[in-house]
Amino acid sequence: MQLRIPSAAVKAQYVDPTQVVVDPVRHTTSPLVTGGSVVGIRCCDGVVIAADTLASYGSMARFQNLSRLVKVTDNCLLGGGGEISDFQEIQRLLENLITKDFCFNDEHTQSPRSVHQYLGRVLYAQRSRLNPLWNSLLVGGYTAGQSFLGMVDLYGTTFESEVLATGFGVLLGLPLLRKAYRPDLTVQEGIKVVEDVYRVLFYRDARSINRIQVATATEAGVTISEPYSLETKWDFKGFVNPRSPYDESTW
Amino acid sequence: MIKLDVFQPTFGLDKEEENVVVPKEELYCSTPLAPSLRWNVLSNNAPKDLTKFHHGTTTLSFVFSEGIVAAVDSRASMGQYIGSGSVKKVIEINKYLLGTMAGGAADCTFWERYLGMRCRLFELKNKERISVAAASKILCNTVYQYKGMGLSMGTMIMGWDKKGPHIYYVDSEGTRLKGQKFSVGSGSTHALGVLDQGYQWNMSVEEACELGRRSIYHATHRDAFSGGYINVYYIGPDGWKFISHEDSGFDKHYQYATEKATQQQQQMSIS
Amino acid sequence: MYNKQHLDPHDDTSAQRPDFMPYQNNGGTVVAMGGEDYCIVAATTRLGLGFAIPTRNVCRYAILNDRVVLATAGMYADTVALHKVVTARVKVYQQQQEKPFGLFSAAQLLSNTLYYRRFFPYYTFNVLGGLDQDGQGFVYGFDAIGSGEKVKVVCNGTAQALIQPILDNQVEKKQQYENKQIEKWSLQEALDLVKDVFTSAGERDIYTGDAVDICTVTKQRGVVVETFPLKKD
Repeated sequence: MQLRIPSAAVKAQYVDPTQVVVDPVRHTTSPLVTGGSVVGIRCCDGVVIAADTLASYGSMARFQNLSRLVKVTDNCLLGGGGEISDFQEIQRLLENLITKDFCFNDEHTQSPRSVHQYLGRVLYAQRSRLNPLWNSLLVGGYTAGQSFLGMVDLYGTTFESEVLATGFGVLLGLPLLRKAYRPDLTVQEGIKVVEDVYRVLFYRDARSINRIQVATATEAGVTISEPYSLETKWDFKGFVNPRSPYDESTW
Repeated sequence: MIKLDVFQPTFGLDKEEENVVVPKEELYCSTPLAPSLRWNVLSNNAPKDLTKFHHGTTTLSFVFSEGIVAAVDSRASMGQYIGSGSVKKVIEINKYLLGTMAGGAADCTFWERYLGMRCRLFELKNKERISVAAASKILCNTVYQYKGMGLSMGTMIMGWDKKGPHIYYVDSEGTRLKGQKFSVGSGSTHALGVLDQGYQWNMSVEEACELGRRSIYHATHRDAFSGGYINVYYIGPDGWKFISHEDSGFDKHYQYATEKATQQQQQMSIS
Repeated sequence: MYNKQHLDPHDDTSAQRPDFMPYQNNGGTVVAMGGEDYCIVAATTRLGLGFAIPTRNVCRYAILNDRVVLATAGMYADTVALHKVVTARVKVYQQQQEKPFGLFSAAQLLSNTLYYRRFFPYYTFNVLGGLDQDGQGFVYGFDAIGSGEKVKVVCNGTAQALIQPILDNQVEKKQQYENKQIEKWSLQEALDLVKDVFTSAGERDIYTGDAVDICTVTKQRGVVVETFPLKKD
């Protein structure tokens, strides 16, 4: 399966590849419509991945109800941040991959780990062509009693971990997740943890919204919740009066 | 016009010749994975430690009545950091050919190893040894294909062939010069000063080797990017011979210092 | 060969972003030391990115066969890609030639693999360690474009400038006030030294920490991996 992102330059090259020297059409040199953080945590009976539903256009909160969580197979799910159009291209790629498997009708499906590796190779290949898919992805899944959580970024860096976050979540979310993580954490507890993380992110990450989706992969399969709003509390002393008498800052 | 194709390199061979002599699979270690880049990635603000690979050197070689002497230091610096203090900067291409190494270490070792392969192929095809002139020209033509792409190599190809001892200087810009005395690298100016001062056509092998050693020592003393050990090679009619491997540090310094002192004393007593 | 269709360099069908910098520094430190009848190859497990630590447990080494191990610092995506290429080629060689891949061959293979990407290098700093034909431990250190050297002990990566001088001083007895004899290090002594240098480097280098995977290569036991914890701050 080949990833092709054709441009006007390609068409020009087919005319006379030796003669025509054309600059390729530059689609984007930096991400345009972007999603924010995605966080995930592995639990003993499944995996939880959450994302808010905001797609920003620069500093504008452009699309406020955009789902950034996708079901890939019956036991694998994907959450993505970064350039939304590239994320949709990745969704199409995965759809092709899964459809191919389905057409073989041999009851083989991609395991979460192989989906993770596949995405890693795709993103690495695209960055090596200097045309990256500008995303950070979390892949989660649950197979044979084992939960899986892996991350891929726009350079093709792939790794697995118990707790993962992308974007601003690396700075604000990861410490909370690491603190909350236990090997015997249940999915129900995991959902509570990621909700807390998103509350904190909403308070401090300017590219976030308090409307999130939580997806889980468990024995029962993949479920993606409807978007819902988080309870927020704005009467903390520091929020009411950010200027403390002792210090200029709110930190 | 020369067709430049970096990612399907011909390695200086004609396409036809390549098919006859060496199967394509054997030329490449793997199908090149690099994409064709219209922009040079390394010129675009690349990470500093990526573009700073082993660099900096003093190497020299000269022809005299008995043959050729080559002397080199052994320091490889990566920016401020000394990447290694024990580099072999004389590359043994085959029994009769030596190359020296200045500039990018990987560029020199890779292309001189490749030159070794080409020289061996020449022998098998022509049933005689390749001349130094031809060998150096292969290298020169090869690196010329990559001109402007950032290769960094300054080398002396030395050897003894049918017509006697020869030295050719070849660099990554495509220069190829024949000569009697060369010194390459950041410490070359210091080395040449000593070399020119002590050079005579009629020297014994021992005297010539000592002159080479002394020149490199003085270069390591004054040039920050040169240092480590001093390696000396001699090329005679029967091929090259490894002469010595010495530390350029304290021992050498005090040896030369005492020699100088005794010389001065002698001069004083004469006057 | 390896998915040539996908990685065909002449496949120019996609646009390139000229101002995209395809490199990222994930840090990491690798050390290798060769002894009389053993070889140690060690690599940290922290994946750093700027001032953050996205994860504390990544694998920076690749066991090529039961006597050669490769460890890589630098950009992690390139590390994974390089390890995939090298392990695949070693496997193919061993299947075709029906003999194990030697240390010297592995060094040459790695050198060439790195150099073929001369104009778009792997952002990786490699050490290769293992046993040679006589069962003696030797290691190779490489720069990003494949210049390598056979040595007794080497360090590469972000803490190179911190660790290499100590190793030179202790193992090769260089720069000592009195010239000391180079002594033979037992496996246990060498392991202790490696653990010590990593612990020290972890105190002074932000990209070194969390844990270090230490691969010990011996003729009798093949490759044994042990994980030594470092400070997680």
